[in-house]
Amino acid sequence: MSADFDDLIELSDFYIVSQKFEEAIKVLKKAENIKKIAPKLYYNLGIAYEALNENDKARDSFRLVLKIDPGFKSAREHLDKLIEE
Amino acid sequence: MKQFVVIGLGRFGSSIAKALSAKNFEVLAIDENEESVQEMEGTVSQAVVMDATDEKGLRELGIKNFDTAIVSMGETIEDSIMITLTLKEMGLRHVIVKAKSDMHSKILKRVGADRVIFPEREMAAKLAESLASPKIFDFIELSKTHGIVEMVAPKKLADKTLDELKLRTKYKVNVIAIKRKVPITKPDGSTDFKEEVIIAPGPDDELISGDILILLGENSDLEKIEKL
Repeated sequence: MSADFDDLIELSDFYIVSQKFEEAIKVLKKAENIKKIAPKLYYNLGIAYEALNENDKARDSFRLVLKIDPGFKSAREHLDKLIEE
Repeated sequence: MKQFVVIGLGRFGSSIAKALSAKNFEVLAIDENEESVQEMEGTVSQAVVMDATDEKGLRELGIKNFDTAIVSMGETIEDSIMITLTLKEMGLRHVIVKAKSDMHSKILKRVGADRVIFPEREMAAKLAESLASPKIFDFIELSKTHGIVEMVAPKKLADKTLDELKLRTKYKVNVIAIKRKVPITKPDGSTDFKEEVIIAPGPDDELISGDILILLGENSDLEKIEKL
């Protein structure tokens, strides 16, 4: 079960680096059905939404990251930047 | 290098002084509030505590040699009018003044202000525009009929080259630039972005989902692209 989750997160990393952001969102949604309390999942989701300029969804995702892990520095940086835009 | 004098270091005045300094311009910042001036020290070329309605003091600072003055007096309308008048009488070429009301603006123009601004009003108009059209980030009006727009590329255009899209032929718009968030992997393994700007993209450049297009064209044609 957990391996599936990790595989999906890894696949989302691949899609993000390949600039296939919509594909990344699809696999992250699948991963969300397996495990919800995972900062990396919502961080990648935030990154993909931000890349697509869907800033409301990106903000929500980064907020979820920080709710789970308040010390997630990159998520804080992205959220601050999105709020200032 | 252009030289600016910023008179009045409230929220707007201090922000413009900092922004101009960040662009490496020479900036003289003036306010009668010592605390406001101290905050600018080290950020701008020179920060001076003085009452800017004091004409003699302004002359001693060599204000007339500056290229542009920005007058941003927060509270007192009379002071901003007096200062504008003094600056123009001293021969300053370009005086930009922040106004509080239409009447204030009218008087400022009469006493010689070269440009009157309403920062809150302008910001509100931009915010309203962006809320009305979330895909539009910015719009520069070139004439009543033409403009430059910065907008999210419609999904329909993704994964196609500019040659395939033929935006110039079909919609009579020119793609001036493409802004793209390129993912990078940070040393800690997490993903981040670096922003890439492709200026004057060629026919083989392909659009990617999430690209921001800077387009030049007739307003009605730009609207057609937005609605795709």
